[in-house]
Amino acid sequence: MRYVKWTLWAIIASLIFGFLHYTLPQHDIVRIVGTENRRIDFGENSIFWASPDVGTAAGGNRDVFFIQTVQPNGKPMVYRNEDTGWGWPPYFKLDSSNTQTEAQSLVSSAENPKWVAITHYGWRNEFFTIFPNAVAVKQVESPDVTIIPWVNIVLLVLLVLVGLMIRRMWLQFRERTIDPALEDVSETWDAVDAKADAAREQARGFLGRIGAWLDSWKKKPPRR
Amino acid sequence: MIFGWIRLWVFALVGMTVVYFLIGIYWRSLHREELEKRFDAGGIPGDRTAYIESGMASYEKGLKKRLLWLIYILPTIAFVAVVYILNFQ
Repeated sequence: MRYVKWTLWAIIASLIFGFLHYTLPQHDIVRIVGTENRRIDFGENSIFWASPDVGTAAGGNRDVFFIQTVQPNGKPMVYRNEDTGWGWPPYFKLDSSNTQTEAQSLVSSAENPKWVAITHYGWRNEFFTIFPNAVAVKQVESPDVTIIPWVNIVLLVLLVLVGLMIRRMWLQFRERTIDPALEDVSETWDAVDAKADAAREQARGFLGRIGAWLDSWKKKPPRR
Repeated sequence: MIFGWIRLWVFALVGMTVVYFLIGIYWRSLHREELEKRFDAGGIPGDRTAYIESGMASYEKGLKKRLLWLIYILPTIAFVAVVYILNFQ
């Protein structure tokens, strides 16, 4: 039973962690090597893609901007660049075309690299063909700059505060509403119980007397 | 665009209204409990129920009750700020 409980908690914790890891913004420092725009037919992976540009019609497929980059360690990283519009996640990104232009203007070669901090959310996964969504691009001095994730700090602190608040509200509700109601129920139950006891007592009073009278006809245990 | 915008605000308003009422109930409950404890500590003349009800009536008109509107105002400010910073800066 203990293993079941811990497995359940582990699953819940990893779901929450995965959700936050996917949704919260992260910064990568990369070198942009190219940008492109290609048509995507969304299939099983459609949940990992955002929405059509704000104001444009939705369909089964559409053109999506991509930003191809190389990380400081030489490995490739490809970002998509889509509007999130007014949907989830709530980045309210409307300017994917502008972001694409900024990315294009920062394209650089390996010999003369321009390092760029890309703010993004989402995951790159080859099995599902999904890409992180680039939210903003900004040129930085070198691949070693430290970026303090203020947005994440603020959001996670807020999330913890909301959790504590919900806990306190629940405790208050229990103390003020559920416990008194339960007390009422148990008082009512006690009253019912007392009534039943009294009735049983009464019944025993009558039947008990008959029983005692019958018992008096039984053979008495031999006296020794 | 209009459809997505309306959908966002319908959901946001429903969510914010739920939070508004939940926190409203919570704060009211806290205030009532405090009044009860203050009366039960002794030294206050008069009827217990009347004392609590008058305290609750002044709470309903007080500043704290009005601060609850921040539940609608703060997310709206955050929304405008995010749209501006992410798209127009």
